[in-house]
Amino acid sequence: MENKLVPIITVPEVATVLEIREEIADVRTFYFAFDRQEIEQAFKIRSGQFIMCTVFGAGEFAVSLPFSPENDRKHISVRKVGKVTAALHELQPGDKIGIRGPFGNGFPFEEIKGKNVIYVAGGIGLIPLRSSIVHVLQHRQEFGRLILVYGARTSRDLMYKDSIREWQATRDFETYFTIDRPEPGWDGRVGFVNQLVAGLNLPSENTVAFVCGPPVMFNAVIKELKLKGIKEQEIYSTLERHMKCGIGKCQHCAIGRTLVCVDGPVYTYRQIKTLGEQI
Amino acid sequence: MPYHRGICNFCGTGCGHLLQVENNRVRGVYPLPGHPLSRGRLCVRGWHIHELLQTEERITRPLIREGDRYRAVSYDEAIDFAARRLKNFSGHEVAFLGSPRASNEENYLFGKFARAVMKSNNLSLSSDAGLEESARILLEGCGWPAMTASLSELRQADFIMVVGGDLTKQNPIIASEIHFASRSGAFLVTISPRRTQMARLSQKHLRPNPGTTWLLLEALARALQTEGLVNGNHLGERVENASQYFEYLESLDLKQASELTGVDEKEIVGLARKFYESESAYAFYPVGIQSLDRRSMSALFNLFLMTGKLVRPAGGLCPVTGISNLLGSLDMGVSPAFLPGYLPTDRGDSWKRFEELWQVRLDRWPGKSVGACLQEDQSLRALLVVDHDEEIIRQASRIKELDFVVYFGAYRNAFAGLASVIFPRLNYVEGDGTYTNSERRVQLSQKKVEPPSEIRPLWEILSELAGALGHPWAYKSAEEVMAEISRTVPQYSGLSYDKLRASLGIKWPVDEQNPGGTEFPLAGEPGRRFKFIFGRTREQLKGLSSGFEDRFPFKLVVGRSNYFWHQNSVMKRTFIPKREYNALLLLYPKGFVEISADDARALGLREKQPVRIVSEAAEISLAVRISPDILPGMLYIPYFIEEMVSGFLHRQVSELEKNEEFFLPVRLEKLE
Amino acid sequence: MYWLPGDQVKLLARRLAESYSVYGPRRDEISGEVVFDRLEVPERLDLQAAIPYNPPKHVLFPHYEEILRYLYERDSQKVAIEKIDKVEPKALVGLRACDLNGILCLDRFFLWQEFVDEVYLEHRQKLFLISNTCVRPFPQCFCVCTDSGPAAREGFDLDLTFAGQGYLVQVGSRKGQKLVEELGLQPAGPEAASLREKIVDESVSSFDSFALENKAWVSRATNRLTTGFIKPEVWEYIGNQCFECGACSFVCPTCSCFNVEEVNRVDGQTDRVRTWDSCSFEGYTKMAGDHNPRKPVEDRRNKRFFCKLSYSQSKKYLRPGCVGCGRCARVCPGDIGLPNVVTYIRREITGE
Repeated sequence: MENKLVPIITVPEVATVLEIREEIADVRTFYFAFDRQEIEQAFKIRSGQFIMCTVFGAGEFAVSLPFSPENDRKHISVRKVGKVTAALHELQPGDKIGIRGPFGNGFPFEEIKGKNVIYVAGGIGLIPLRSSIVHVLQHRQEFGRLILVYGARTSRDLMYKDSIREWQATRDFETYFTIDRPEPGWDGRVGFVNQLVAGLNLPSENTVAFVCGPPVMFNAVIKELKLKGIKEQEIYSTLERHMKCGIGKCQHCAIGRTLVCVDGPVYTYRQIKTLGEQI
Repeated sequence: MPYHRGICNFCGTGCGHLLQVENNRVRGVYPLPGHPLSRGRLCVRGWHIHELLQTEERITRPLIREGDRYRAVSYDEAIDFAARRLKNFSGHEVAFLGSPRASNEENYLFGKFARAVMKSNNLSLSSDAGLEESARILLEGCGWPAMTASLSELRQADFIMVVGGDLTKQNPIIASEIHFASRSGAFLVTISPRRTQMARLSQKHLRPNPGTTWLLLEALARALQTEGLVNGNHLGERVENASQYFEYLESLDLKQASELTGVDEKEIVGLARKFYESESAYAFYPVGIQSLDRRSMSALFNLFLMTGKLVRPAGGLCPVTGISNLLGSLDMGVSPAFLPGYLPTDRGDSWKRFEELWQVRLDRWPGKSVGACLQEDQSLRALLVVDHDEEIIRQASRIKELDFVVYFGAYRNAFAGLASVIFPRLNYVEGDGTYTNSERRVQLSQKKVEPPSEIRPLWEILSELAGALGHPWAYKSAEEVMAEISRTVPQYSGLSYDKLRASLGIKWPVDEQNPGGTEFPLAGEPGRRFKFIFGRTREQLKGLSSGFEDRFPFKLVVGRSNYFWHQNSVMKRTFIPKREYNALLLLYPKGFVEISADDARALGLREKQPVRIVSEAAEISLAVRISPDILPGMLYIPYFIEEMVSGFLHRQVSELEKNEEFFLPVRLEKLE
Repeated sequence: MYWLPGDQVKLLARRLAESYSVYGPRRDEISGEVVFDRLEVPERLDLQAAIPYNPPKHVLFPHYEEILRYLYERDSQKVAIEKIDKVEPKALVGLRACDLNGILCLDRFFLWQEFVDEVYLEHRQKLFLISNTCVRPFPQCFCVCTDSGPAAREGFDLDLTFAGQGYLVQVGSRKGQKLVEELGLQPAGPEAASLREKIVDESVSSFDSFALENKAWVSRATNRLTTGFIKPEVWEYIGNQCFECGACSFVCPTCSCFNVEEVNRVDGQTDRVRTWDSCSFEGYTKMAGDHNPRKPVEDRRNKRFFCKLSYSQSKKYLRPGCVGCGRCARVCPGDIGLPNVVTYIRREITGE
């Protein structure tokens, strides 16, 4: 119901790409602002939501939002995987894109105030979690323990290195970083994310966990979290699906009785389990 | 948005459809319920033909190459330019590549232009010679060049044999009819090393080792003989070499055949009996995009002949064409072997007939296919091509060396980029034309929309070119070309646009005796002579082992039919079929090799593992795809990755020898 | 109820043609088959024709439709975006009850969910709907099993029932009432309601035995589909039968999956186009990069039948997603039209 209170753009609004940053191989971050002032001001999101982004002449794709709902620069981080995202990667600052949205349910925020929050991410799985992490940190005093476990194949595959540096320096934020194999100059952990999770002292009562990453990592992490006593309905993730409309009509993202674009993309693990498809 | 009746232009099934036209654009498609063959069905391609017809990526003006660029010019300039250049070449120096997607009228005139105007007999379709091979075998064996059966009666069949190919993918609606017949009680058997969808739905699937399909078919004949299941009534007087053939069969040892093919002897005998006992038997084999080989086609023919099944008014041999007007193109004589109407070019009276009909002197030297010309003939200097479908061009480097290349095409593609001059061509809804499907059904496709800008019909451009070269042609419409075809092509003699407009297709021969077309042409013709087609077993058996089994233990089979559409410049202009054909490519961007689960286990290979395929002459790296459809000892590579085709296959496989039965001895090496 | 004499049907069509593009069943002159199509000449309307081979879906939800057009000039960084709404008012005459129910399903899907589909709404707002009771069911019909025929109950502006010399006319909306008055139709008399009931009853009893016998089985299949108690072998058989042509979705009055593509025009503009799609295609769920959550063909088939018959989908449409028109069975190159699938499930239950 909260979606209804926020204006949703249904016909693409023109935005300008302000700055482009290389994140990791094939992943770039595009900072943007809407051309129309009133839209720029009215555009409000929830962590975990996504937008439909038009690359003019190439097509439209769904992309999750990594920026905080409050006081954060608008941006998206996109991996080059297909025709449309490849065209996006061709863009230069000053070029235009089109944006519809925001769509989807988003991560809980008000509902989890007072709880411990565990974030577990693998690779580019940090993109959808970043928004919630930054938002929660902006309201640090309203939450319990905050823990981030983040891993990638190599140190070069870690997203948002600036944010990571900032988070490492943040008091009351327990951060753990790991890469798959040892590397010269790496002083963090080595091994898979699930192994790291297994070895940590994590709270289980009054705790929620947000997990995003490739399917193999996801399943392994869930197993560990459950062993720690975290309930299936307290574990959240976002599902990525092929989408064409974002408003529950084209049905490309249908899984059983749910449509990821309107019912999701955020689901609890208990819900995901019943969907009967690979994540 | 009103729907207009039409004919699908993708494969050689020729399904009926309804096209939704609005503001001069085709905006939707729907199957035509009353069509006698497709009966209200379309395949994934047919359901999206409007996407192709929407595309604006058209060639809309004549273009002349200047360096690396093309300059748009007027028709007058283009025709003048082309005619002046063409005057410089003798007939031997020019070759003509017709298009199996072009109409009968276009192909007929293209052939006439080659032979009557340019005096060149180098005229063919692309180098898949399967249909021509099939026509030669059938003509030699029974004096009839094409499908001996009619598909309208297929649902009454009680025995259906599908040999090779992947009909469900290539001609889905014919495959659908086969399944329908099978569900209505026909016994369906698939003979193919690969486990295709057709095979999965068959009551029986015999899987001969790669390269031994012909042997399995001959073993069936041998089994008929040993079991005494020969229908000899007509053989004595009407078949000229029956006793020689039976002698030949006797030299075939069933046990040995069973070993070599890998098919159990009991299965062979059982199937032979089932076949013999059937009342209405059909055999399907592909002659289009990937063809069955000559030996297998002959063996299949012999099977039908020795059991008396060719002359029944039910069932027969069904060569299936993979592209809309492949059969019609051959009917129109786009072949070095035949003048229009299957008059053989090695006989003087064929030439004499066309000299009289066309009122022109013809050069009678034996022509070659375009493939052969490019491969062998250093004297070739010019090439004229109508709409080439494929993105991967064989002998592109040789074509680049030619002095002059003319391309008549509707869409921009890699081939157009090789041309010296390009003429735009109408697509099939922008003009009238007839198309002949696999079962000899000639169907009229009528103009539904106005072409963009000023695209002129091919008959008009060819007429102007002919005029500029001193042969005034007076055609005013495609209909007039058909009127001439009905005078020159005996099988089409009873056809006219008026008749076709009032029908949903008529099967040739359409003549005085059969004004409404012909269903079973060989039935009820007591005077027809027959002949078994065969070689010598011992020599043929020799080819079954490569002699390098120790170094190259795998038989690599190259598949085109499944993935042909992927590298097809027509399909690239659709959305959904393109997406579907790309689905596999997304998973294996650098191509894949299919291997059986048994072999994969034995070699410790996992899905997508990179491997190297090494043959005597070349090697290529690919990803492994473990497939339940592949026999142990066999590898399968689809023909759709540029590097695979030009870098690996073309270095060792002559297009002319490539057909379904062809395999390459290779070994497989693990990478990493 | 009112009375429309048989010879005045053409009058009705002509009257509608003054304010609407008239769509209705017409016979193809060569193949003899019936197509639901725009009638260039309203007189070609044939209310006695068999059930059209195509549903009226294409009128509201075209096979290929531009939904947005834009021009982006990179040099000047100018973008012009234009929503396309050039929809004309249309009258759909002679709708079978199954097809009218199909439209109601589309309404519930496109208009009644969280978001309204504005393109569909544009078409829908300008429709005039006239249904026509099926007095003679056809061999493939099974609307009696899916509660969607042979007569319409709601959703029409006018509803016709053939009764000998003419049609009984039921009014379903103010628009309909207005037209009846303009045409000067006379009331059909006090017997009309019971006469219509009798005609519908006769129609119901003349359904093919397969439809009448399957009546209970559709709901049992619904139960099985919802709970997932269907053996994998059944899905495997269905998967083997599937030619992956998409026809079942395209001919379904209620299937609404679509694809969106950008089409770059030669004049530099780009059209955003939406076209029919089918969940049975492999590429349908394929994500960019190397991931397809729904792979084997039987999974995808499963998805479609779930959508047509499960309880959870019925909640969305307020009725089963299948309206019993039987078209999927006619166009399927395999043997897996929905009625056949119900039969397979039935065989599995009874062990026949």
